[in-house]
Amino acid sequence: MATTMANDPSTHVRVWDIPIRLFHWSIVVLLLVSWVSADQGFMKVHLWSGLTLLALLLFRIGWGLFGSTTARFSNFLHPPARVIGYLKGMRGGEKHLYAGHNPAGGLMVIFLIAVLLAQVLTGLFSNDSLGFHAPFALWVTEEASNRATNLHGTIFNFILLLIWCHVVAVGFYLFVKGENLVWPMFHGRKHHSQVPAGVNIRFARLSVAFVLLALAAGIAVWVVFQGDYFS
Amino acid sequence: MSAPVYFAGVTVLTLAGITVAMLLRPAFASSVLRFTGLERGPVAAPGSFYSVRVQPLFDARCAGCHGDKMQKAQLGLESFAATMRGGKHGPAIIPGNVRDSKLYARITLPVSDNRAMPPSGKTPLTKNEVEVIQLWITAHASGSLPVSAIKNAPRLVRPVEIREVNYGLVQRQRAPLAATVQQLQRRFPGVIDYEARDSADLEINAFLAGRSFRDAELQALMPLRTRIVRADFSGTAITDASASMLGGMERLRILRLKDTKTGAGSLRAIASLKTLRSVTVAGAAPETAPLRQRGVAVYGDHDGE
Repeated sequence: MATTMANDPSTHVRVWDIPIRLFHWSIVVLLLVSWVSADQGFMKVHLWSGLTLLALLLFRIGWGLFGSTTARFSNFLHPPARVIGYLKGMRGGEKHLYAGHNPAGGLMVIFLIAVLLAQVLTGLFSNDSLGFHAPFALWVTEEASNRATNLHGTIFNFILLLIWCHVVAVGFYLFVKGENLVWPMFHGRKHHSQVPAGVNIRFARLSVAFVLLALAAGIAVWVVFQGDYFS
Repeated sequence: MSAPVYFAGVTVLTLAGITVAMLLRPAFASSVLRFTGLERGPVAAPGSFYSVRVQPLFDARCAGCHGDKMQKAQLGLESFAATMRGGKHGPAIIPGNVRDSKLYARITLPVSDNRAMPPSGKTPLTKNEVEVIQLWITAHASGSLPVSAIKNAPRLVRPVEIREVNYGLVQRQRAPLAATVQQLQRRFPGVIDYEARDSADLEINAFLAGRSFRDAELQALMPLRTRIVRADFSGTAITDASASMLGGMERLRILRLKDTKTGAGSLRAIASLKTLRSVTVAGAAPETAPLRQRGVAVYGDHDGE
């Protein structure tokens, strides 16, 4: 029902492109897979989900530079004073409209990408002490690899905290402010009333996304070949 | 919905979630309780078998990965409480039940097994160490049972580890003076040698040359002086003319000057050598007092060595 209505161009505006939506939900799935696989000791699965995460994060950085308007860092990265002003205004009941991420959400996106990248990078140097070594784990001393493994675990706890903040914030918009941020991340459209009037969103071509994804995947493939997994 | 109601709901759900996670994961529960200062774990008695025999073993063999700083698989073995709590796969020790204790199972797996502990590359526990753990678990993994209560426990014997010599590193350390050392070894056969096979430091056994070893010969060793850690000039003909050369051996530990023509000048010159531990001189010259005060062992003609 919601999807059908969202397809009506007279009431809804397209704000999120396909690559952003796929990226968002892929990250959700991959984080879950990474968590369960590490927990249960399925390290090969963990390796592949981590490498896919790496490729997606690299793609997202590229898409933040060359992608659609709402995907670009320049669109949602604001100076700290503006973010604080936005949060203060929200507390005071002010309602600002943003087609893409609001200033606080934008900061959260940057923070999540940075933390996820740190998580993937520490993961590349980690080991499980049971014979599994991540692709770069043997490039460094065992002590350094153990430190990376430890850090990998600590950052994961931090990621859980960030996910909690993210979900609480989305819930706040849904239940308190009456703005559903979840559905638009599925079908890509927002109601006219939640988007600034006359907003002009330029959508990048999918071919650009494919090129960026291929480059990112290439790096991930190179990374996996640094480990001894195919002999 | 108002914001306070929403956040109250979030708080309730969060606390409920944490409680469920704590019930499902003892290691997580312990982290939370430790973080909040509420953990009250069991403590082993100081003279117990655990404290005297088991904990030192864990400290020596397991703490690297399962200690205070790192807890792989969320398993810590740094205390009795942590050991009994277990890790993310549940309890590691089942009191009185060796067969079902995961820790025991892991330390008795063949080295070729990926799950064996300590992991591949580390020295496996000895038969005696495994037996100590087995006896402790069999005795209900007690934290209070006195050490004397388990009489048949084997003595823990640590194998002697012979340190591997990094010959590449030794070669690199020797390299700057290697050619000079070789040249002087040819000139003074048997007099110059490396202190040990894993060292770039030198010892001088000039006593082998006797009276033919004079100040000029010692002067020839000038390029090596900062590498010399032991020097025996007993019975040579060196004099106080070599005092500055002796004072330049800044890493010298042991010096023998018995039956030489050295005197007060040489003793004054070596008085400032910080690494010097022992000197043998002819007679008990008053100039040896500063050395004695610094704790350097000074031997004279009548002291013996």
